Amino acid sequence: MSGLKLRGVRKSYGNVQVLKGIDLDIDSKEFVVFVGPSGCGKSTLLRMIAGLEDITDGDIAIGGRRVNDVDPSKRGIAMVFQSYALYPHMTVRENMGFALKFAGVPKAEIEKQVQEAAKILELQPLLERRPKELSGGQRQRVAIGRAIVRHPQVFLFDEPLSNLDAELRVHMRIEIAKLHKELQTTIIYVTHDQVEAMTLADKIVVLRGGEIAQVGTPLKLYDDPDNLFVAGFIGSPKMNFLKGQLENERVVLPEYGNISFPASVSASAPQEVTVGIRPDAFDAGGSEQLPLKVEIVEHLGNETYAYGRLGSGELLTIATDNDRQVKPGDDFVARFNPSSLLLFSEDGQRIR
Amino acid sequence: MSGTRLARNEQINGWLFIAPSVLLIGIFLVYPILWSLWMSFQVGKGMNFSFGGFTNIIRLTKDPIFQIALTNTLIFLVFQVPIMLTLALLLASALNDPKLKFRGFFRTAIFLPCVTSLVAYSALFRSMFSNEGVVNKTLMAMHIIDQPILWTSDPFWAKVLVISAITWRWTGYNMIFYLAALQNIDRSIYEAAKIDGVPAWARFTQITVPMLKPVILFTSVTSTIGTLQLFDEVFNITEGGPANATMTLSLYIYNLTFRFMPSFGYASTVSYVIVVGVAILSFVQFYLARERSRA
Repeated sequence: MSGLKLRGVRKSYGNVQVLKGIDLDIDSKEFVVFVGPSGCGKSTLLRMIAGLEDITDGDIAIGGRRVNDVDPSKRGIAMVFQSYALYPHMTVRENMGFALKFAGVPKAEIEKQVQEAAKILELQPLLERRPKELSGGQRQRVAIGRAIVRHPQVFLFDEPLSNLDAELRVHMRIEIAKLHKELQTTIIYVTHDQVEAMTLADKIVVLRGGEIAQVGTPLKLYDDPDNLFVAGFIGSPKMNFLKGQLENERVVLPEYGNISFPASVSASAPQEVTVGIRPDAFDAGGSEQLPLKVEIVEHLGNETYAYGRLGSGELLTIATDNDRQVKPGDDFVARFNPSSLLLFSEDGQRIR
Repeated sequence: MSGTRLARNEQINGWLFIAPSVLLIGIFLVYPILWSLWMSFQVGKGMNFSFGGFTNIIRLTKDPIFQIALTNTLIFLVFQVPIMLTLALLLASALNDPKLKFRGFFRTAIFLPCVTSLVAYSALFRSMFSNEGVVNKTLMAMHIIDQPILWTSDPFWAKVLVISAITWRWTGYNMIFYLAALQNIDRSIYEAAKIDGVPAWARFTQITVPMLKPVILFTSVTSTIGTLQLFDEVFNITEGGPANATMTLSLYIYNLTFRFMPSFGYASTVSYVIVVGVAILSFVQFYLARERSRA
């Protein structure tokens, strides 16, 4: 039993409301990622779970126990910091065993725990080193090791990979995913990188401006976003957004020569909508077509992205099914099926 | 061969740039140091001196005032430096707490003594610690003592007075170094320690203090040097009294040079006692603080 329950959690600094009432359930052994742009409150929320920030209002329960006023060390959590926060004057062994020393664990047991964690993280040859003698990835592993030895119910990760270079980040991402499989504990992970969120999470919590924009599995958020923000935030390259009008079960795109196609929803009165279509939703065999002039082409090897527009319209990103012949300046017809479009109302909510 | 000419030009340019300071340092620093070393082997009064070999060093061993001055200086060192540095460290960690109100005010207030005028503060201390002074009156009003303490005429209390004065003056100065170092420590290290369940006292002794070790070493060396050279306070507040109870090496050097029949040679020898003392103590401190090789 190591799930979390957040009920009406708020945080204010003076008059500034950072978190505006968060309700969230996290199941035991779940890998949950808080994702959102900077300033959305995701780190603050994590720090409140950790007990490093006071809770202005609301309740946080870990494993069925309300922890609002429980000391951070007694909440059954362990945290990995963005800066690693290793004790610089201690060796790797001392860093990992430090918490146990104060928990009254006997020396032999500490040594056993440290060895065990070192084995999982392949840190054994480094146990006598100090943090400054380690590379970024090794420091990261020590920070994780320091968390593991405490056998927490919940691991908290605060942007743990953002100080690593791109290659190492991918590597550590896989390490963390493996670790979750091995340890079978609840993990809450904060990141601003939607790729990390998509690849690691069982459940993604998208935060925006101190509120939850949507909660769901990675594919649910990708395929079925609740609002414009989630649609634009999840997925790379970004979803295309076009101005359109919805009238009589048809969508009209005024910037694209008033072409129209059937909509999956109907509106009683004509209304302005935003039409969303993912770059990879364009399909050479689609029933509808958008004529474009290609401006930029990106060859990634396995995929070719064409960026084009019609007249003064929005610049669209199109995954071309790796059409390597397309060149800037070409006329290009992007085809799609109306069923792959998402419609959003003027206030940014999905129209289903 | 334009490459070597360029290198030579650069060398000449370099020397030209540093020549003024080298000249000044040579005249006002290196020359006096060497000259005083030479003087320390001279005997005689005033300007009549002659080479005396180790005569001055032998005189040291038989000079009761020198021995009192040396003992006093070491007493000041042993008590004052640890008290002051501990106090500075505690104040620095207290004032580093972001939740503390009026931090800026406290920091300034504690730092101010070391920039106040020496003479003004000495005069103030003398009046505060006089037999009828505010310190005695306060202590008596609080019933801590029933008779005034003879701060300037009792040998023990005179030393306490001097130690209090230098501690008051230099604690803030050392605290600033600690504060600066504390602000360079990543806050998340303390947060990690909180989550690790490390109690507050252990966060201080096992995280703060080890991480400040280089700064602590620096302040302890500079404070040791300062205390070994202690002159200002004893000259201005107690004048070395009562009965040489607060006589220090520096004050003794001053007396030997300017008060009594000038004995430049012997005064230089006593100066070199301080030099040797500083060298030994600094070495010991660096040795103790060295990065322990890993087991």
